Amino acid sequence: MSDHVYLSLEALTLAYGDTVAVDGLDLSIAEGELITLLGPSGCGKTTTMRAVAGLLKPSSGRIMLDGRDVTRLGANKRQVGLVFQSYALFPHLSVYENVAFGLKLKGERGRDLEGHVMEGLKTVGLTQFASRKPAELSGGQQQRVSLARSMVMHPKVLLLDEPLSNLDARLRLEMRTELQRVQRETGVTMIFVTHDQGEALALADRIVLMKGGAVEQIGTPEDLYNRPKSAFVADFVGFENVFAVEDGKLRTADGAVPVSGTVPAGAAALAWRPAMVALGSGPHHGSVRGVSFAGGTREYLLDSSLGPIKAEADAALPVHDLGTTLAFDLPAERAAPLQRYA
Amino acid sequence: MKARLPSYAVLTLLVLFLVGPFFVIVAASFSAGSTLAFPPQGFSFKWVEKVFTVESFQASFALSMFLAIVATFAALVLGVPVSYALSRYRLPLAETVRTIVSSPIIVPGIVVGLALLRYLVVPFGMDITLSLFLAHTALVLPYAVRVVSASLENLRSDIEEAAVLLGSSRIGAFFRVVLPNIRGGILAAFILGFVTSFNQVPVSLFLTGPGVRTLPIDMLGYMERTYDPSVAALSALLAFMSIGIVFIAERFIGFSRYV
Amino acid sequence: MFQNRAEGFALALPAAIFAAVIFIVPVIILLSGGMHVNGHWTLSAYTDFFASSLDRLVLWRTLKLGILVTLVAAIIGYASAFAIVSLSPSSRGRMIGIVVLPLMISPVARTYAWLVILGRTGIVNQALMTVGLTDEPIRLLFSQTAVFVGLLQLFLPLMVISLVSALENMPNDVVPAARVLGANWLQIFFKVILPLTREGLVIGGTLVFVGSVTAYITPAILGGSKVLTLVTLLYQRVTIANDLVSASVIALILIVMSFGTNILLRKIATARNRA
Ligand SMILES: Nc1ncnc2c1ncn2[C@@H]1O[C@H](COP(=O)(O)OP(=O)(O)O)[C@@H](O)[C@H]1O
Ligand SMILES: [Mg+2]
Repeated sequence: MSDHVYLSLEALTLAYGDTVAVDGLDLSIAEGELITLLGPSGCGKTTTMRAVAGLLKPSSGRIMLDGRDVTRLGANKRQVGLVFQSYALFPHLSVYENVAFGLKLKGERGRDLEGHVMEGLKTVGLTQFASRKPAELSGGQQQRVSLARSMVMHPKVLLLDEPLSNLDARLRLEMRTELQRVQRETGVTMIFVTHDQGEALALADRIVLMKGGAVEQIGTPEDLYNRPKSAFVADFVGFENVFAVEDGKLRTADGAVPVSGTVPAGAAALAWRPAMVALGSGPHHGSVRGVSFAGGTREYLLDSSLGPIKAEADAALPVHDLGTTLAFDLPAERAAPLQRYA
Repeated sequence: MKARLPSYAVLTLLVLFLVGPFFVIVAASFSAGSTLAFPPQGFSFKWVEKVFTVESFQASFALSMFLAIVATFAALVLGVPVSYALSRYRLPLAETVRTIVSSPIIVPGIVVGLALLRYLVVPFGMDITLSLFLAHTALVLPYAVRVVSASLENLRSDIEEAAVLLGSSRIGAFFRVVLPNIRGGILAAFILGFVTSFNQVPVSLFLTGPGVRTLPIDMLGYMERTYDPSVAALSALLAFMSIGIVFIAERFIGFSRYV
Repeated sequence: MFQNRAEGFALALPAAIFAAVIFIVPVIILLSGGMHVNGHWTLSAYTDFFASSLDRLVLWRTLKLGILVTLVAAIIGYASAFAIVSLSPSSRGRMIGIVVLPLMISPVARTYAWLVILGRTGIVNQALMTVGLTDEPIRLLFSQTAVFVGLLQLFLPLMVISLVSALENMPNDVVPAARVLGANWLQIFFKVILPLTREGLVIGGTLVFVGSVTAYITPAILGGSKVLTLVTLLYQRVTIANDLVSASVIALILIVMSFGTNILLRKIATARNRA
């Protein structure tokens, strides 16, 4: 991994008619990095990937790849790989021919071609399926063919658009590990799109969290997990109790409420994970509206004067029945301070 | 597939080519001149009016209407059961049955007409109108089977089973749960059959007799004798009739997806 | 699926018997007439047909028109179908409606329009004379070109509809996938779109070809006796020459072309399903 910028999106804006799907997005990526693009459905991830691949023309902004302005370069000349969410395998071609498709267009023939195709299939463990048609493969296998088809082209950047979302949970984990391995072995620069924060946290060198067509926060998985900058990011990484801070107090449904402890300077909001809520004692009260068992812990949904609160308790402790009133505290020293509330 | 301008250019040319001739007929039918010309010489309603005064047109229009309605109805009476049998029963020879009932669409109409004339009408002295009715029924049958079969394929077959389990007889189940669900398809089949029969020429070509002539055949004959714009006017009127039917059918059942 | 076979047959038989008696039996008797001349079974009527240069010419012309109309319809059809599927869903529906509509209008009326357009005093001649390309009207009617244009206008919608539904049924994203893998538009068309829409092309092609080859009205009105096709020739043989033997030979040739094309279609369609 090197530090100089390999791919950069500068003030990238894309619109479908009147709908602005990507709005002034800035992003710089180093060679060999594994980036995940994380965000809720509809925030413009696919649109961004299609723009990087050259399938959509930006209405403004610039895309630089390997020192070259590729904004106007056609998708077929860009040397960017794209693994589609639907895999987009060619149903009329065998697995072998699918993988050979791009190589043949580059003019490869005979031994070279065969060698490269089989090598690609070997990387994803599908050599024995070379003569099958895509329809005769399972979802996971189709996914691998799609990966091999892109990888044999030695793309400058490999884009994967929610590649795991059509797989079941066990396969998803397996493919994730496999993707990591391929990325490590080849050192390809990779952008992995997902709406699942667990996937993003597990895979990425850096996470780019998107909201409404723009970047909300960029950082390492730990940065995002521990130091969210805004309520949106906090909520996305599991801080389910977020309150704006006004004059050192929490702004709640019930008006301004004092916090126990001191609010860090400059914090516009405070956020607590359910586990950070001190349950059992404290100045606030809430009645139990829902309980759910989560293995080692139990999650409580409380109706309180501050609004709904999510708290967590050890599952070994006796369960509190619905309707019970519980005391709780939101200690400032445990909270993550946010720079922005909105 | 996002290129906007070339797209619109292609579509404009397509529409011009497909629909343009229709506007030409309409314009020609309001001509004041006595021969076919474009641009029309002057403006008048005289040819449109003339259409309604030609007696043979009235008779042939009535015959074509009658045939189209009765033959399509008969084709559905035959076609719905066979479609149902083909889609819901595991029949041996199912493909043969399907081929037999669809064959009138594959055999050229003129051959059908000639065969009927030579081997039903002439030897058995069959009435021409009756022979036309039989020929048109056979001709519409494949359309009826195709459209109704498609509707049945799109309808889950377990609903009849559910109805039978709830105490309905098999026939009762057909009328209570199947028929209401393929209403759109049957209506589409009726319209398609009606239009096919009404516009049919080759089958009817040989099946004409004194005073018995379908409207399109009558128009062809009139064109050979006279070169005035009244056929243009009649064509325009028929086109408006078709457009009206299709427009209403499109509104109510999304007709074009059945074609 | 119901198991009761008797019930199934009872439902299927009326239509099958009707089609067989009203339709298949007379047609078979008619066809056999071409092999039964003066009380003998013989193929002489067929050798006569192929020995006659007029008959051969008409056969060749019919085939040529059919192939040409199908080819041109395929090219225009693809261009139009691409344009139609790139529309928003609502305008796509409207556009398909416009394409289907002419199919519902009487072919006599549609063919008649070309008399107005191509006639001596028609639009095309008026335009040519106004521009000064010609001094007196040129003869456009009763030519192969006129028949070609008429047939194309008549049957193009069938091709467009088949190709639109083939394109709509193509899997998502295969075109962008090919693009990203380095294919230009021509390569995408021949390597991805054409193989994936082959079935629609074959269905549309069959409808257009069979329609063109067996059409009566268009060659009768726009071709007259100058541009005979098999169907108008058959009509003449019956009405003018009263030559039923020759008519039955032509009938068989027509049926062979029509059935042959349809069987070919089924072959290609099932070959694809097996693959
Ligand atoms: N083809 C399209 N036409 C119009 N709007 C679109 C189209 N594709 C996406 N959009 C809109 O653009 C926005 C971003 O979409 P997308 O990039 O697909 O989001 P994501 O991949 O993050 O779910 C959404 O609001 C979506 O509705
Ligand atoms: Mg997406």
